[in-house]
Amino acid sequence: MIQVIDVTKRYGQHVAVDHINFTVEKGEILGFLGPNGAGKTTTMNIITGYISATEGTVKVDGFDILEEPEEVKKRIGYMPEFPPLYMDMTVQEYLDFVSDIKKIDRATKKRSMEKIMDLVKIGDVRKRLIKNLSKGYKQRVGLAQALIGTPPVLILDEPTVGLDPKQIIEIRSLIKELGKEHTIILSSHILPEVSAVCGRVIIINKGKIVASDTPENLSKRLSSSGRLSLRVAGPEKQVLKLVRELEGVKNAEVQGVKEPGTVDILVEAERDIDIRRPLFYALSRAEYPILYMRSVDLTLEEIFLQVTTEEREVS
Amino acid sequence: MLAVFKRELKAYFASPTGYIFMGFFLLICGIFFAFSNLLTASPDYISVLSSITFVFLIVVPVLTMRLMSEESRQKTDQLLLTSPLSVTGIVLGKYFAAVAVFLLTLLITCLYPVILSFFGTIAVWEIVGGYIGFFLLGAAFISIGLFISSLTDNQVIAAVVTFSALLFIWILDWVIQGLPTDRISGIVFACALVVGVAALVYFTTRNIFVSVAIAVIGFGIIAGVYFANEYFFDGFIVRTLEWFSLLKRYENFMMGILSLSPIVYYITFSAVFLFLTVRVIEKRRWS
Ligand SMILES: Nc1ncnc2c1ncn2[C@@H]1O[C@H](COP(=O)(O)OP(=O)(O)OP(=O)(O)O)[C@@H](O)[C@H]1O
Ligand SMILES: [Mg+2]
Repeated sequence: MIQVIDVTKRYGQHVAVDHINFTVEKGEILGFLGPNGAGKTTTMNIITGYISATEGTVKVDGFDILEEPEEVKKRIGYMPEFPPLYMDMTVQEYLDFVSDIKKIDRATKKRSMEKIMDLVKIGDVRKRLIKNLSKGYKQRVGLAQALIGTPPVLILDEPTVGLDPKQIIEIRSLIKELGKEHTIILSSHILPEVSAVCGRVIIINKGKIVASDTPENLSKRLSSSGRLSLRVAGPEKQVLKLVRELEGVKNAEVQGVKEPGTVDILVEAERDIDIRRPLFYALSRAEYPILYMRSVDLTLEEIFLQVTTEEREVS
Repeated sequence: MLAVFKRELKAYFASPTGYIFMGFFLLICGIFFAFSNLLTASPDYISVLSSITFVFLIVVPVLTMRLMSEESRQKTDQLLLTSPLSVTGIVLGKYFAAVAVFLLTLLITCLYPVILSFFGTIAVWEIVGGYIGFFLLGAAFISIGLFISSLTDNQVIAAVVTFSALLFIWILDWVIQGLPTDRISGIVFACALVVGVAALVYFTTRNIFVSVAIAVIGFGIIAGVYFANEYFFDGFIVRTLEWFSLLKRYENFMMGILSLSPIVYYITFSAVFLFLTVRVIEKRRWS
């Protein structure tokens, strides 16, 4: 459905996107994950034809964005990073205008607008000026705008940013629902979000694809972070000494004391070694009970670090 | 294009812009009408049209400053440029919306000559011709404003630059009179033009070969023209700048002469600036 072929974007000397290649099949939900400045927005802007690539091209449904931009644009609904809203219009006027520029039939326009307003739940603000809407509602209007004309492809740039937790869950399940009929690319900073909705994840860093896999495989690779946070009832020095001497422990450090008579420590294991059981027995033998133990999720930065070092080791 | 036109037209009257434009225009026009026709009991309405061209300097920036700059500031250009609309369609929609507001205002001022006709005979065809000229002049100014608005995402900058550009055109005839007309300065000016074009090409494409080639070809043409017809460069500066002299053509209309060439001139002038606007927008997507 979507083919991104060797796309590069340079701003002067700065390379924002560096020879990216990937394809998205019909009906797939693809997650685009990367830290700030990775090139997610730039790539999406190129796919939608907002900016042109320095090199390479994009094909949607077989149509080349450079040769037949209109055919491509007809097939894509785009929700940019900042929803492109006219502040001086009401929600209804705005969606009406979007339907017109997307050349929707007059006959079906009204009905499809109603359907979309229901879907993203903005029916009750339809008469309000967009400028007076809250951030979350503006975001929804931005999404509604992308859905108009039910294009087969949806490109969503950080669709849940700035929403409250309840709305985030709603929008995620909406995207999942939309995924049944649309091919979707969505970008995000948050791995769990991407895992929750996407069938496949592409991780991009500094303009390059560093990993492309299903969320399951990816988390399998990443769960070997081997870092545990635990709270132990016992004297700081002895506990730390005991833990450090344990086989398979790479590093251990005190995080602080939150409860009197206990100590919180962060333990880092050697790669691919599960130290939870030895840790439990060692501490219980010494009669320092573990009050809690949980594995520490990787931060995004660490994920990239790990993925990039992994790739280097492989090659 | 129609959708953009309608939205833009609505936007003019959803904000004070449309009312400021109309109000100010009608006010100035009314004052001149009162002083030169009503108070002096003169039927010479066309002199009103020729003396209020200075209003354009103030009202055209108001009308055009927002057109493209606000789209890039609010990022709504992302919506337009990723929709199936062509850039030409977007630019034309906006241009015609601004022109429509101007035309509407102009139609209201038609009341003044109608009032005059109650008190005596007026030169109907001359006034119609004058109005056509006035309309074309305004439409040409609007195309300049639209072009400048596409260069920046700041409305205020767009307004100030548009005002300066229109002021320059307004005083151009006066400037031209003071310029040298001898052959040497004509050639120097032509060379400067060639260098300017080559530099512009270099800064936009960063391609040194193309710009040097343009410069070489340009100098070649100058040399060729010089040997073919050395008188060509006499008064070359004046003739070049006169191309921009919108007001000079306007005088024809004011004398009641309705000929084709100034009409074609104004339409071409607007078309060139609309084309440049499209180019600027396309270009930005490539940079
Ligand atoms: N118009 C521009 N001119 C110059 N550099 C740009 C321009 N737009 C983007 N960049 C650069 O390109 C790189 C990629 O930016 P991009 O917006 O694609 O990142 P992103 O992955 O979307 O980041 P974020 O998560 O912050 O949205 C950044 O280093 C940015 O500074
Ligand atoms: Mg981004």
